[in-house]
Amino acid sequence: MKTLTKLLTLCALTLSLFVGANTNAATFTFTAIPDADESQLRTRFEKVALYLSEQLGIEVKYVPVKSYSAAVTAFRNNQVQLAWFGGLSGVQARRLVPGSQAIAQGYEDQFFKSYFIAHYSTGLELSDSFPAITDKTFTFGSKGSTSGRLMPQYYIEQHLKQKPQQAFKRVGFSGDHNRTIVQVQSGTYQVGAVNYKVWDSALAAGKIDTNKVKVIWQSPTYPDYQWTIRADVEANFGVGFADKVQAALLNMNSPELLKSFPRSAFIKAENKDFQPVEDVAKQIGLID
Amino acid sequence: MSQPKQPQQVLQLKKPQYALGYWQKVSLSIWLIALVILPFADIEIVNFDPFLELTRMVNGLVTPDFFATEYLLQAIMQTVNFAIIGVCLGLVLGAPLALIYQHPLVSSCCAFLRAIHEIFWALLFLQVFGLSPLTGILAISIPFAATFARVFHDIINQSSDSPLEIIDRRADIISRFTYGKIAQVMPQLINYTRYRFECALRSSAVLGFIGMPTLGFYMETAFRQGNYSEGAALLIIFIALIGTIRYWCPPKLLGVYLVIACVTLVDIPKVDSSLLVRFITQDILPPAIANAATLAEVQWSSLMTWFSALLSEQAIPGAIATITLALLALAATHFISLSTHMIASKHLWPAPLTWLGQFILLVGRSVPEYILAFIFLMLLGPSMLPAIVALAIHNGCVIAYLAVKQSNAIAPQQIQISKLNQFNYHIMPTIYPSMMALLFYRFEIIVRETAVFGILGIMTLGFYIDSSFSEIRYSNALVLITCTALLNVAIDIISRRLLKFEQTSQTSC
Repeated sequence: MKTLTKLLTLCALTLSLFVGANTNAATFTFTAIPDADESQLRTRFEKVALYLSEQLGIEVKYVPVKSYSAAVTAFRNNQVQLAWFGGLSGVQARRLVPGSQAIAQGYEDQFFKSYFIAHYSTGLELSDSFPAITDKTFTFGSKGSTSGRLMPQYYIEQHLKQKPQQAFKRVGFSGDHNRTIVQVQSGTYQVGAVNYKVWDSALAAGKIDTNKVKVIWQSPTYPDYQWTIRADVEANFGVGFADKVQAALLNMNSPELLKSFPRSAFIKAENKDFQPVEDVAKQIGLID
Repeated sequence: MSQPKQPQQVLQLKKPQYALGYWQKVSLSIWLIALVILPFADIEIVNFDPFLELTRMVNGLVTPDFFATEYLLQAIMQTVNFAIIGVCLGLVLGAPLALIYQHPLVSSCCAFLRAIHEIFWALLFLQVFGLSPLTGILAISIPFAATFARVFHDIINQSSDSPLEIIDRRADIISRFTYGKIAQVMPQLINYTRYRFECALRSSAVLGFIGMPTLGFYMETAFRQGNYSEGAALLIIFIALIGTIRYWCPPKLLGVYLVIACVTLVDIPKVDSSLLVRFITQDILPPAIANAATLAEVQWSSLMTWFSALLSEQAIPGAIATITLALLALAATHFISLSTHMIASKHLWPAPLTWLGQFILLVGRSVPEYILAFIFLMLLGPSMLPAIVALAIHNGCVIAYLAVKQSNAIAPQQIQISKLNQFNYHIMPTIYPSMMALLFYRFEIIVRETAVFGILGIMTLGFYIDSSFSEIRYSNALVLITCTALLNVAIDIISRRLLKFEQTSQTSC
């Protein structure tokens, strides 16, 4: 009983610690999930935080998140004021936080594309027309991904006139572009959709056996990743703050920092650039 | 019996016919059900050439890289912190509830809370508290509190009333209860709490999969991205952490650890009450209600369409897949627990071999199911099979671990029979009822755990819940979570009705 009493007291103490704990409100916080390499996330992005902090003259913090939806939640709840979103998650976030602005995108994100890849056993080859993949097994990437899910699903529905669940023998969500490549390469799924940049860099790194898996189709281009900032930063960090952040992002030219994303440079972006993504998301029923 | 009579039989004894015993019937029906649903389940094996990836996995396992993970010490510390604070808070909330657990309202509320997986609790709290430690701690402590309430209640109920009669009648009710009842079951309560701490460590790691800063955060990334050396190192650390609990966390030091945990916990950001209000008044309401200005404007027909579509397209198919998966996993778990109990029993093998068996049990119960399923997905393809195997290995090893503890305490009979006969005719019959009780207790947990595989893409209810969260449709998520919980409660009631044995709840996890 004594132990129990002790425990009770300590738990009460614990609870009392929760009350009143507070973080510094003047810290500018951002989050980012790169599309390819997620190892050493904090170490790499804390360098970005340091860069932004030097440019903006205030404390900048990086918060690691696990998924696009977690990033959207953090943005919506004002736990982060700036985020490196995918096309779809950016649209979702800006719908949830009125007034928030897309301020920059990667140079490559103006004309992003997805590859459809297939296991050699399917006998499919690269072609310009949409491949005959009906009744195959198919894997997307993560559920919230633009290049691994949204756009591929849109083109599938456009060409096959069916929902993926009806068009394919089996539909999976590998959770990650690298997994998609691995799963199609090992024949777990016959066909998959993958972010073209992830494919290209895995190919360059020698991680792909092109006898086993090959690109069979590439999608038309669409806008993808972008930096989005909350509207209320002007009130909390001073007038013109969003412009200062935008300038800092556009001026980021250290290859080491850019490699974390990985992008060759950042260029200006605005909300209407991503209208095509929103339209597609509505069309396939991912947003209302 | 159509056996020909043996001429040299001296005694004219008829070969006795035994009716099937209760446990034989139960075991047979588990397998019968599994066989009946097997043709309808998706258990296709698809593998063309998994060996490229498997070679990389094995390579990673033999060359673990302990320096690949950033902030590793912090991650270990937070894993322990979440578990300790979660268990303590669970005790504070759950222990008092144990005293009024006999009330149907309390027990069904607890069953409901218990039925929701930690991951779903965390995903819900994430909307209100964000990536705050509060999210992780509450996600552990709420289902744990509900479990403590039930198990403590059962333990106290099973205690004897005779000490009460010795206590002076003038003593007040609290003293009488404390010294007459609690005192005699205190060791059991402490033992159980210790066991739950191990479970909490696992839960804490699993919460990393959705973003809490625990070992699971890095483990999931490492496996998903194919950094198997890093993943193997994290798994080894995690297994070592669980295997050595009794050395680094004796119950006496729990208080000390709690204080350390509170001090070293990551900062808790300010709780914004407006987020809670928004969550309750907007996010979780169905679109038809949330968009309407007043109750009169609510379009009930569109609400009905929304609800029936959700039920027929997601909840019902999801529930069917969940039950199929759980029932098949139950049979497979039965098999694994019997066989792994055998390899770790001291009644069969000399000591060094049982250590090996114990080690296998430790690995089997420590590796998160998610990681197991991930590996089997490469080997067996994307059907239900990897999930069945993963559930069976994990739960089978938990049951065997607990059963071995009990069976090793049984004294062997002092008669001249072989070890195998001793094991089959003395140890097994003694241990089997409690093993089966454990198995059925685990069934509730198996159903809960199917949720995790939804995140891997197996179309259980968890899959649809995960999708709803990623599409930011919290109202859908809430309906589906409620369905999951109701399903669990129903299963709990049915299995209790069907199996009228005392659930020895020493053992839930």
